[in-house]
Amino acid sequence: MPKLNARGMSFHIQQAGEGSDVILIHGVTGDLSVWFLSKAIQELGTTHRATAYDLRGHGYSDVPPDGYTSGDHAQDLLAIMDEIGAPKAKIVGHSFGAVIAAHAAAIAPERITAVVFSDPYFPALRHLEDASKWGHWKAFRLEAEAAGVTLSDEHWYDLDKFFDQVNHLNDERMLKFRQAVGLPAMTRLLRLGKTTCGADTKAVAGLTTELIESIKAPSLAIYGAASPFLATADFLSERLPNCRTVTIPNARHRAPEENPEAFVHAVKTFIESVDA
Amino acid sequence: MMSNDSRHAEILAEVAGLMANFHGREYLGDIDENTRFFADLGLASIDAVVLGETLQAHYGQPLPFGDLMAELGRREDRDLTMGELVEFLAKHLESRSEGTSCRS
Repeated sequence: MPKLNARGMSFHIQQAGEGSDVILIHGVTGDLSVWFLSKAIQELGTTHRATAYDLRGHGYSDVPPDGYTSGDHAQDLLAIMDEIGAPKAKIVGHSFGAVIAAHAAAIAPERITAVVFSDPYFPALRHLEDASKWGHWKAFRLEAEAAGVTLSDEHWYDLDKFFDQVNHLNDERMLKFRQAVGLPAMTRLLRLGKTTCGADTKAVAGLTTELIESIKAPSLAIYGAASPFLATADFLSERLPNCRTVTIPNARHRAPEENPEAFVHAVKTFIESVDA
Repeated sequence: MMSNDSRHAEILAEVAGLMANFHGREYLGDIDENTRFFADLGLASIDAVVLGETLQAHYGQPLPFGDLMAELGRREDRDLTMGELVEFLAKHLESRSEGTSCRS
């Protein structure tokens, strides 16, 4: 499988097509397969060189013990751009991948020419959102409870607390939990749980409200119509000088999976409007 | 000319052989056509991406795994049986040349 070395680590990357660069950034606990399942990489690859990579700690990339803030990941992204020969790129991030995209766009505005923010929730903007609205988490919690694992509602965003609660399970209970919540790759999830990823993902890490507001590149805030983070969508469209918003019907937090056709269409339309 | 059944059985044996030492495999057990990639083998969709590459290298020809992944992404249970994978391979593989090498 294609690997490249950047910042002393090995990253798994996948590329499709030729042309100007578009880079796809998945969310925490995910991996680059979301861009294949949604068909985003295949579709963007018809007009661009589309590159997807597994974040550090995820998929088939290396798993360092620490360095999981949006700032660390943004430096990884810029180093990967150097390695693939992309001085500039348009970038598409989903969930925490969009936080990484924002961080990169803010610290390297000369390199990031457009940004798609898919359903992010920013640590610095936590005050905007009511975490209890996150229906996905509520459903996950009920499924976990049925498998004998009680997850605290108060720590829904708290990956390290989540990892603490599942790390001690024996093999049999882990299998039951894994089947109940539909997480096939528990080995990878638990591997991530032994890093600082959980805590780092909650850290502002320099991506302050002011820094988010400083992003001037053309951007698209794309949110599920039933996303729990619509207050963040409003913030982005009101405060960023060059940001428009689109909502995806029949989707909550995971539009690339919940309504892939509409998601990919919106992304492609935006990317092509920036090219024009 | 080989019959469809024996061709399918041959492909299933080849895929099972490739998967015996596949990265990301969490559970051991026999693989048959009803074995589910995710629920039974404990694999994830990222493993499917990498397995797709492994199979293309094994058969020495491009195969439309992008289409298979996109179709999988639109399934309710997001799972794939080995029988379906074999069906996909049988449909898209050209008649195999004798010299196909086996990569580890």
